[in-house]
Amino acid sequence: MALIELKNLTYHYPLTNSPALQDLDLEVQEGEFLAIVGANGAGKSTLCYTISGFIPHFFKGELAGSVSVAGIDPTKAGLGEFVQKVGLVFQNPFNQISGSKFTVYEEIAFGLENLGIDPAEMRERVDEIIRLTRIEDLKDRSPYALSGGQQQRVALASILVMRPQILVLDEPTSQLDPIGSQEVFQVIKDMALQGMTIIMAEHKVEWVAEFADRILALSAGQAIKLGTPREVLGSPELPEHGIGISRYTQVARKALQAGLWPEKRSMPVTLDECVQGFQEIIA
Amino acid sequence: MNIEIKELVFAYPNGVLALEGVTVGIPTGSLVAIVGQNGAGKTTLVKHLNGLLRPTSGLVQIGDWDTRQRSVAELANRIGFIFQNPDDQLFCRTVKEEVQFGPRSLGFENDRIETLVEAALELTELHEKASQNPYDLSPAWRKMVALASILAMDTPIVVMDEPTTGQDAVSIERISRIVQSLHGSGKTVIAITHDIDFCAENFERMIVMRQGMVVLDGPIQEVVAEREMLASTYVEQPQITRLAKRLGFSTIVYKPDDFIRVLHDS
Amino acid sequence: MPDRLSFFIPRESRVHSLNPLTKLALAFSLIILAFFGPGLFLPVALYFFVLVPLSLLGKVGKEFLQTSFRLLLPLFAFLFVMQSLFYPGGETVIFSFWIFSATSEGVVFAFRTATRILVMVSSFLLLLLTTHPSTLMNDLSRRGVPASLSYIITSTLQIIPQMQARAVTIQDAQRSRGLDTGGNLINRIRSLLPLVGPLVFSSLVDVEERAIAIEARAFTLPVKKTSLIDIPDSRGEAVLRWVMAALSLMTIGYRIWLSLN
Repeated sequence: MALIELKNLTYHYPLTNSPALQDLDLEVQEGEFLAIVGANGAGKSTLCYTISGFIPHFFKGELAGSVSVAGIDPTKAGLGEFVQKVGLVFQNPFNQISGSKFTVYEEIAFGLENLGIDPAEMRERVDEIIRLTRIEDLKDRSPYALSGGQQQRVALASILVMRPQILVLDEPTSQLDPIGSQEVFQVIKDMALQGMTIIMAEHKVEWVAEFADRILALSAGQAIKLGTPREVLGSPELPEHGIGISRYTQVARKALQAGLWPEKRSMPVTLDECVQGFQEIIA
Repeated sequence: MNIEIKELVFAYPNGVLALEGVTVGIPTGSLVAIVGQNGAGKTTLVKHLNGLLRPTSGLVQIGDWDTRQRSVAELANRIGFIFQNPDDQLFCRTVKEEVQFGPRSLGFENDRIETLVEAALELTELHEKASQNPYDLSPAWRKMVALASILAMDTPIVVMDEPTTGQDAVSIERISRIVQSLHGSGKTVIAITHDIDFCAENFERMIVMRQGMVVLDGPIQEVVAEREMLASTYVEQPQITRLAKRLGFSTIVYKPDDFIRVLHDS
Repeated sequence: MPDRLSFFIPRESRVHSLNPLTKLALAFSLIILAFFGPGLFLPVALYFFVLVPLSLLGKVGKEFLQTSFRLLLPLFAFLFVMQSLFYPGGETVIFSFWIFSATSEGVVFAFRTATRILVMVSSFLLLLLTTHPSTLMNDLSRRGVPASLSYIITSTLQIIPQMQARAVTIQDAQRSRGLDTGGNLINRIRSLLPLVGPLVFSSLVDVEERAIAIEARAFTLPVKKTSLIDIPDSRGEAVLRWVMAALSLMTIGYRIWLSLN
């Protein structure tokens, strides 16, 4: 059985008529890195909240179809079960700081205190995660005195320290500057390489193309494409749904129209693929 | 309306220098992007344009006005300033009222306000949402409301702080169209941005800042060629420029269409 | 932006290593003694013979004296002037000028109120200077105080400077739209909504996100929470707390007995 299984999922937020997600089917295997792309309002955040149990336990509304995440069925289990298995990190780093702690070290331990972990083990786990997320130099500072990128790494560390089976990331770099984004992406990449199951909504398709195993493209709450990065991001219908494609895909598409792209080649998504294609043409 | 910034130095009350002698002239109708790492002084620099900050030494002139002798409210007639986070300014019950607030504060005639508000709603594609509450809209549309509320003030100079942050492809395209339309009507547009591709495709001139100083300033063509200097401020070259370089192009290109043209010619 | 927002000064001392509840109990019993105990000079005595020595023992004497004076001197001056001159029912006039006359009843009343406030404020000051806020909150929730209550207290403390920074940005944004925030009263009243509106609305958005964030960190999970920071406690301290509680009850009893007779 897949780690995440959504069948025929339809969800309405309270007091709304049109569904935020409609007839969605999705299976994610353990260790997989699935990226979700889509325009604003396409349902990316809603899907992230569903997989992490906040729908239907925090946002009420109407959930139809079946959901199973790490063996948990939201109709039978509460949010408490979810947060022990699924970690959620979202856009705004500032709002993810608990507000009740005075140093980064304590902030990261907050989740473990709530889980009732023994203090000795707590310190071990906090030390380990601080090393993994490369924030040793921040540990004694106030979480409020950090830059956005640093705060977001603290938010990631605070979730990872709880050892979730699945990590759900809802556009974790959209509020950050390029350096901040790079730092955060680096941590996510490390986690992916360690085999963690990751679900990540993201606009930066060039990055996603390089690291995700599969990509789900959403439009108006429906899945329009699910497959490998090349299958999805190279697909010609994406721009019609308001989904950004990388400059590399854009330029290759224009080149194809001008007869300057090798016909047998699929649309490139990354710089390397793009360079290879054009090198064939130039040669 | 020309902007003249001469030997501008700004120090915070605690003595930390944020700008260490910036000299920049921006003639009427310019399309200027300011890039650089957080803390390089970009926002500090543009806050001098409408008097939110006053020079510690040096001069900032907007047309014939010296900003030291004008209030922020007066300067609002000449500089439209769009803040990064729309939630820092939205307070009205409807989108339309929100957009009317700026021109009303400036004391425009009712007829003129009506025309300007209509035009701003049109340009930002908010027409159908005019009677909605801004807080019922998605963050991307709230950003449009903030944009419209400044555009309706009809200032000769428009400053945008990080217009594309958190926006999706559709809304970035909409912002591009707005920038081009403002440029078409002869206004000066100045944008602070981290999005180097957006900047290369929509602006004509680029100013690169590092540690309170301007380190590069010139046409996009020249600035994007300076790979090492850009890297020292943690700015990458535009993706098209990097692609052309990998393919060994001899000319600097930064727009998809130019890339195709050069490829075709070779 | 301050790197830390609390009075806490991390030092190694006998007072620092006391259990936070012991210090809280001490603060409350000193306050009860000061307000309900016998004698005009008891509060001053508590300040000079209990609180000041404890602050020295806790190696925070300098900060304790500085802060307590800075906070309280203006208040005392105000109290003395107001109460000595306007105390109703004062008969024993000490001196008078124009239509005012200072009565000794007023002076006594002012002295009593001021010294009681002195004990109240400085007891808490001693607690805050020597107690890490998270420790206090953790200890309280460990003893059954609802975690959400202690969360609200600490997070409010931290949110205030953030709100201030936000208010400055909002003011900048609205002034850039031509809002005139200075000048006469009407202008100021008119500019209130554009300044307060965004602060309220954006705080509402923030509150929802923050709620999600702390839920994701298992905040409401029904298990017994543990604490990162080791919270010391001993039999001796427990006994001490009971003694202080008994003393407080006796003081209140004494006051009730007095009023009945």
